Amino acid sequence: MLKILDRLEEILIASLMAAATLLIFVAVAHRYGATVPFLYPYLAPINLGWAQELCIYMFVWMAKFGAAYGVRTGIHVGVDVILNRLPDAIKHKVVTFGLLAGAFFTGIVGTLGTNFVYHMAQTEQVSADLEIPSWIVYLAIPLGSYLMCFRFLQVAWTFWRTRELPHHDHGHVEGLEDETAPLKPAGASR
Amino acid sequence: MSGLAEAPKAPITKIDRVTIVSLGIIAVILLAGIVLKNSAMLIFGLLMALMVTGMPISIALGLTVLTFMFFMTDVDPQTVALKLFTGIEKFEIMAIPFFILAGNFLTHGGVARRMINFATSMVGHWHGGLGLAGVVACALFAAVSGSSPATVVAIGSIILPAMVRQGFPKRFGAGVITTSGALGILIPPSIVMVIYAVATSGMNVTGPNGERVSSASVGDLFIAGVVPGLMLASLLGLVTWYRAWKGNYPRMRRAGWGERLTAFRKAFWGLALIVIVMGGIYSGKFTPTEAAAMSAVYAFVISVFVYRDLSLSQIPKVLLDSANMSAMLLYIITNAVLFSFLMTSENIPQQMTTWMVGQGLNWFTFLLIVNVLLLLAGNVMEPSSIVLIMAPILFPMAARLGIDPIHFGILIVVNMEVGMCHPPVGLNLYVASGITKMGITELTVAVWPWLLAMLCFLALVTYVPWISLVLPRALGM
Repeated sequence: MLKILDRLEEILIASLMAAATLLIFVAVAHRYGATVPFLYPYLAPINLGWAQELCIYMFVWMAKFGAAYGVRTGIHVGVDVILNRLPDAIKHKVVTFGLLAGAFFTGIVGTLGTNFVYHMAQTEQVSADLEIPSWIVYLAIPLGSYLMCFRFLQVAWTFWRTRELPHHDHGHVEGLEDETAPLKPAGASR
Repeated sequence: MSGLAEAPKAPITKIDRVTIVSLGIIAVILLAGIVLKNSAMLIFGLLMALMVTGMPISIALGLTVLTFMFFMTDVDPQTVALKLFTGIEKFEIMAIPFFILAGNFLTHGGVARRMINFATSMVGHWHGGLGLAGVVACALFAAVSGSSPATVVAIGSIILPAMVRQGFPKRFGAGVITTSGALGILIPPSIVMVIYAVATSGMNVTGPNGERVSSASVGDLFIAGVVPGLMLASLLGLVTWYRAWKGNYPRMRRAGWGERLTAFRKAFWGLALIVIVMGGIYSGKFTPTEAAAMSAVYAFVISVFVYRDLSLSQIPKVLLDSANMSAMLLYIITNAVLFSFLMTSENIPQQMTTWMVGQGLNWFTFLLIVNVLLLLAGNVMEPSSIVLIMAPILFPMAARLGIDPIHFGILIVVNMEVGMCHPPVGLNLYVASGITKMGITELTVAVWPWLLAMLCFLALVTYVPWISLVLPRALGM
């Protein structure tokens, strides 16, 4: 069950990334394609004015769900200069506090967002270019935030049981291994 | 610096003096804020108190805003929810995910290797050999990628092992690449510049004579980064050359013009990206965001179909990694927008500006203070967070003192570069340590000569606005 959620989350953000890139590429290509006389009759009737708006919405959705995924992969950076100077027992308490604070914040935002979307659904408000109901667009806030809240709790639970945190490796690069076999960049020592 | 924890080498049993002093300072600021009812002190005290717990900076920013609004103001918390969405509803910001995606394709796609070969064929026969080629390759890669750690990874993971094999001291190579990689955010495109433009855009600020000052656009900053970027690259190259000449390190055989031409032809597809991005933005054919999207598609095509160093099955992983990194940055931006909304609604930037003018601070001392402040911040946070938190506060003051927004942006970027190359949180150091398997302490010693050169360059950029402004002015921006 959790595996399915993990996969869905990954597929969603990766495809939003790809789709938004292609969308802007097509929109730009279309803009210049339409200036070519030969292609003009075919391209001119197509209106891609909504591309920018759709791209923004795609990236906002990607950002909300990606932020939840980021909690799982440990990419959200914090200031750990003081933290690393603390004795282990205190450090564990502080880390747990940090994780729960994350869950608390995202939980509150999720609730505020739900409230907000609920009120917006009562109105007829639509987005500027795409004319889709605004509340559907803003649904990203409650959904993304609650998912993030869940991820924080999940990480806190794992930390409480195993004393381990997910951590992101900025030094690791795939695809370079074969060229630098003797000294491969297996990752920063963090 | 990433995540929340790093296993300490020896078990720590006592709380040391540094910790107590820093916690004490934060407590004093918070208490003073409560007693004096000074909202600026209260907000910053709260932010620092939350940040030292090691929670993600984005969460610390958001919680500060929520707490302050709940207890101290009667602003409807509902606006918070709305701001969390509208905060990143700008097409300009979307350049960030696109540049990250493009950078990831380039790092995986064999572009870096061809650039290194080209650079080696051009400068490899001088003193410094591969080291000098590393500086040039970093500068070339920086011109297609917007991130410093990515530049260190792309160039360093190939050239560092090669340098060690050729008999360079490990320290020398690590020092060159760690610092040259920082060029990634100075030579356009640059993610930090996009963030500066976003953080200051739409602010209502006035100049010394009360006239309205408009903030710097992404395009302006990109153009302005070219001259300082080339200067810093030359400076780092000079240090490399001098140290290699003194240490008598190995040089390469001089490549013939035929070999150079072949190397250039192979690297051509990667180098063409520089023309697409900069040419496209400057000629007005693309907005910076569109240029970023174009370069992502272009980088994908050359990595997969031209160089064939990236297989189609690796694409989902690249997309996912890029999405992960972009989402993290966008999440910090959202919360930082929230934070600067709170600052503005409490009138803090205006109060600080008035106070500063009252103190009779001139631009010389102001820039000195800004640099020290940012260098200190560079000790605990990574660049994007620093720029997002500091720029909205410092920019109105700078404008009031008649400092050009573009010059101010370039100064901040150069300052951030220094922060990336020294401990405890310099990301370039950690990346280089991952590649070379050297400890952070040893690396810190290794980067010193170049870091010193960088600091001198920072002073130069700070007090000679001409360096940052010559190109944008010549192009009539």
